[in-house]
Amino acid sequence: MLILHAAQCEGRLVLWGEDSEATGDGHGDGRHPRCAAGDLLLGVMGLDVGEEMASEAVVWLPSWGSEPLPSSPLAGEAPRSRAKPRILPFRVPALWLDGADAGEFLERCGDRPVLQPGVALGPEITYWRRARQFGMALVARQRYLPTATGHGDGMTAAWKAVFVGDDADRLADMGGLMPPAARSATGDAATGPPAQASSTVLRAFLDGVVDHLARKASVPRPEGNGFDSAHDAWLHALGAADGTIRVGPDQAKQLGRQVSEWQRPIAVAANAPYRLCLRLEEPPETEDGDGAVLDQGDWHLRYLLQPHDDRSLLLPAETVWKGRGKDAGNPDYNPREFLLAALSQAANLCPPVAESLEMEGPSGGMLSAEEAHRFLNAEAPALQQAGFGVLLPAWWTGRGTKARPTIRARVRTPAMTGGGGVSLSTMLDLEVSVALGGQEITPAELAELAELKAPLVRLRGQWVEINADEIREAADHWRNRKQVSLREAVLIGLGAEERSSEDNVRLEADDWVGRLMERLGREAEVETPAAPRRFLGSLRPYQERGYAWLTFLRRWGLGACLADDMGLGKTVQTLAALELDRQEGNDRPSLLVCPTSLMYNWQREAGKFTPELGVMLHHGPGRKRGDEFRQAAAERQVVVTSYGTMLRDAETLRGVPWRAVILDEAQNVKNPMARQSRAARELPADYRVALTGTPVENHVGDLWSIMEFLNPGLLGTQARFKRDYFVPIQAHRDEAATSRLKRAAGPFILRRVKTDPAVIDDLPDKRETKQYCVLTREQATLYQAVLREAETRMEEAEGISRRGMILDTLTKLKQACNHPRQLLGDNSVVAGRSGKLERLDELLEEIVASGDRTLVFSQFAEMGEIIRGHVQETFGIEAPFLHGGVSRRGRDAMVERFQNDPDGPRVFVLSLKAGGSGLNLPRANHVIHYDRWWNPAVENQATDRAFRIGQTRDVQVHKLICAGTLEDHVDAMIEAKAETARRVVGGSSERWLTELSNAELRDVLALSREHYGD
Amino acid sequence: MAYPDYRPAIRARGGIRAQSRRGDFGASWWARRWLQTLEEFRIGTRLDRGRSYARRGQVLSIDVEPGLVLALVQGSRPKPYRVSVQVKTISLPDWEELREEFGRQPAIAASLLSGRMPDAVEECFSARGLSMFPESEADLETVCSCPDWSNPCKHVAAVYLLLGEEFDRDPFLIFRLRGMEREELLGRDLVRSAQTLDGPPAAPEPLPADPSEFWGNPGRQFDEGDAFGAIAVPDVHAALPRQLGRFPFWQGEEEFSAAMERIYRAASQSALDAHAGQTDGEEN
Repeated sequence: MLILHAAQCEGRLVLWGEDSEATGDGHGDGRHPRCAAGDLLLGVMGLDVGEEMASEAVVWLPSWGSEPLPSSPLAGEAPRSRAKPRILPFRVPALWLDGADAGEFLERCGDRPVLQPGVALGPEITYWRRARQFGMALVARQRYLPTATGHGDGMTAAWKAVFVGDDADRLADMGGLMPPAARSATGDAATGPPAQASSTVLRAFLDGVVDHLARKASVPRPEGNGFDSAHDAWLHALGAADGTIRVGPDQAKQLGRQVSEWQRPIAVAANAPYRLCLRLEEPPETEDGDGAVLDQGDWHLRYLLQPHDDRSLLLPAETVWKGRGKDAGNPDYNPREFLLAALSQAANLCPPVAESLEMEGPSGGMLSAEEAHRFLNAEAPALQQAGFGVLLPAWWTGRGTKARPTIRARVRTPAMTGGGGVSLSTMLDLEVSVALGGQEITPAELAELAELKAPLVRLRGQWVEINADEIREAADHWRNRKQVSLREAVLIGLGAEERSSEDNVRLEADDWVGRLMERLGREAEVETPAAPRRFLGSLRPYQERGYAWLTFLRRWGLGACLADDMGLGKTVQTLAALELDRQEGNDRPSLLVCPTSLMYNWQREAGKFTPELGVMLHHGPGRKRGDEFRQAAAERQVVVTSYGTMLRDAETLRGVPWRAVILDEAQNVKNPMARQSRAARELPADYRVALTGTPVENHVGDLWSIMEFLNPGLLGTQARFKRDYFVPIQAHRDEAATSRLKRAAGPFILRRVKTDPAVIDDLPDKRETKQYCVLTREQATLYQAVLREAETRMEEAEGISRRGMILDTLTKLKQACNHPRQLLGDNSVVAGRSGKLERLDELLEEIVASGDRTLVFSQFAEMGEIIRGHVQETFGIEAPFLHGGVSRRGRDAMVERFQNDPDGPRVFVLSLKAGGSGLNLPRANHVIHYDRWWNPAVENQATDRAFRIGQTRDVQVHKLICAGTLEDHVDAMIEAKAETARRVVGGSSERWLTELSNAELRDVLALSREHYGD
Repeated sequence: MAYPDYRPAIRARGGIRAQSRRGDFGASWWARRWLQTLEEFRIGTRLDRGRSYARRGQVLSIDVEPGLVLALVQGSRPKPYRVSVQVKTISLPDWEELREEFGRQPAIAASLLSGRMPDAVEECFSARGLSMFPESEADLETVCSCPDWSNPCKHVAAVYLLLGEEFDRDPFLIFRLRGMEREELLGRDLVRSAQTLDGPPAAPEPLPADPSEFWGNPGRQFDEGDAFGAIAVPDVHAALPRQLGRFPFWQGEEEFSAAMERIYRAASQSALDAHAGQTDGEEN
């Protein structure tokens, strides 16, 4: 395991690593005993970094004795000592990344704790990644300036960030969050431990980000034979790789002076402890505030000073002018001087401020309605962008709702045409009028407003920004359309249609269209249809709501995304809805696409709950193709296939007019450009369903692809989505865009989490689910090899040797199900070879993502070790393993950390023997049984480590079973409560299996066909 | 050196780029007042001879120090001529009075800081029997290393004209010519630590030896709402350089503001791309 670290030093990002497998050679000469070798770092970087960047660095780390402490348990075990740690220097191989390489590296890191399996990222790297985003924001917003620093020959050109206003606050906030590890590197040990302030280090890093991006953008002009002037040399150096300004010492001196003279006004602002705020105030209300359309008083712009360290304080300019100059709190600064400097800056952006400066002791200015309008629309944003505080009337900042005139569009609802569903292409008649806050504005009033040409008017007692010409034009546009389709009406009603949201169109409808709109607006408040007749099982109340919701959208031909938390029964709700659809006479087949590991699960669950749904698996090399497939599909109601097969057989699958296309684990299509996303979108269907356990609504970027699959066109094209939602929400934190997106997509997403009160009441405290997995081809081959060998020996063996032979075979088969490496005992590669491990990965991903904690039990110590290593390398999170070899003290420490450490591990691996009883681990709310011990008593005892007093949440138990193997067959026997199974309950081991006849045994151990993957 | 040199000037490269393409040099009233003052000294016609020099970029550099202007001008000889203009300065006690008067009228300082010379300034001068600009030709002592006998020669004239343009940009230059620096005029408080963009100095922070404090876990403490501010391209490009106005005595081949706008525009785009790259990375 490699843990990467990054510290800012001398204008570069110093990358180094801890290697948990390092031998510690060369230790003793001040070298870090577990540092990652230089070529290892180069390999991991995968960048085209030059060898010259690889060079030693010194890192100053908390240490005990002469040993550095590992940064996390992933890096190694901390020595036991009660001594106080101290900071010591250690030499480490390092890569000194410049702005370009650091950027590329941080970009590659993504938001995950691991860079790649086996390479975890230290917390500082996460920090730098965020800091880089700040740097990019500064560049995007153009908050930086060109500089020339140094003297004489050594003068260099660089771009530097400028922190004024909000950015100064942000810099302070972000500096405070910097982990000290991020500034712990030096060039050599002689300098002593670094003590640079985090804000200084952060500034240096941000300057690096800014310089890199701006330098890239300033394409240097060809150098030719030197430069005609120092300014040409400077401009060139601002775009050249090394930044050296090629001028003589005299020119350099003059240039330096000119640059600092030029920058002085902003340098003043960047060093000030205050900022200037401008507050726009409305003219006082006149008496005739009601009917009068026009109100032309003067607006007032007031100047205030706001200290950075107490942002709640606003000093009116008047008091600053009256004051005698110095501010007691900040002896270095003079608020009067600062106010002057700031006003003079603001004057360049805002003419009314410039005007006010003609007066003595300026405290504000008077604005006409036109000026106020210009201030609101143009000058205020410019001032804000320049770092000034701007305070605007609430009706303006909260606009978009009441303060804007709306266009009312009434749709006339046609009579429902006989029977079942409605077509989204039904055309509806439109009736258009203009309104303000519920009151209609007559065409005459509108004409009067257009005549006035006043941009801000007080209309019926309320200030409104109004462009009467535009409104008339928009109203005419909608009047001329005369009709819209039901689909358009739905989009308009949800506020998700481009033109209509620009024009602020409100849709009004009655009768069934009105009801549809109303229901879409209110989540899941739909009548519950009766449960399908042939549904074996019962739906919990919240599941009934989900089933009703799926059915409601299905009847309108609209796509639905059921995004309930893992374990709430998305499968059952979906099956019930499918069965009802079938009973309503729609028995064309539906296509269900899911990860390979879940295919068998679906088949199983369908068999259990909805036995009349004909299910067919479409998978593996022997699958049907062409006409044969179409014929077979036509005879079923559900065809289950994997994402891989969907892609490979795309053409065949497109040829079937599916009743529904259902995507399970729909996050598989979150990338709109991925081939499988496109293939899924191209499948023809009457309606579509997406199932996912991840909170899709939180990942704006993922939403488009899933919604485009469900309801094509609803969120517009991808480019438009990016412009209208993704960029505003992701980059600008635009709340209006967020709520617009929620309105548009919300009605088609139903997500309940386990902690919903409505769900909790319905839930048992402990829920068991069986997770069926599929053997890989390699596993299946090994399984069959074990079986063949056993069969020949079984005939001959008798008595004790037979029993021993059977137990041995059982163990080997279980090992084959667990992982080939466990069976072979060969230290071979782990990833990609076991279907069960893959299923475990999927479970852990959801568990870790939702902040839960889990226990993972295996009866095999070797398997526990494989799981531990695999989880740590794949997820970059700590996964302690408790087995028989762990000392009592070690065990107590593990339990203590899991239970009480705020940063404690989220995954705890235990061997059934060492951890199956006695421990108290209620912090876990999941228990995964990786392999089975066919004795419910033993399994339940292990489960009870989490499900016991102290547990405040419900516990989910996941039992992993390889479909079609002995695990599956034995489980079925126990479920069926067959004679043999009853014997199990009494016994304490699996010995009962040895008492089966050879024939019985053969059935139990056999590998059913078709139950393994590619 | 006895005969005037009528050879044409050698074309200069990298000289100061005059703002004026035709007509007057200097747009502000105070710059015009400067040229007017020179005309009153009856050197107005001789100024004309400097026009084409100034416009063709023959002036290679101008340095303004208190009471003194030093410049290099490319003439017809390979070696540029050295020009110096010594300006009579205003006495310190007089400056002291002026400074007090400015202090009583904050709008004066504000206007000056925003790059404008308010009318009130000239009134302050005249109320004390002083003048903002030199009062007679004797107050200007000019020397040029050219062989031309006329004084001012076209080289000095070109420097006068470009100075006028520079007054447009920075009215404080006029005070410097008369012996007073802006810091002293407005008070040092304002500019004490304002020389660079590096911000106020911060107190040292030694590394903590406690491991959990040392490694930290910043991920969950970030205020997602407004940690970075918007990542968006502003409507007006290069607002900061714009806010600062023209660069002093710009000599570059490309117009300074045009260069800035070009670079800021492209950099914003590459920042957006880089951000998209980083967020795409999160998605996949």
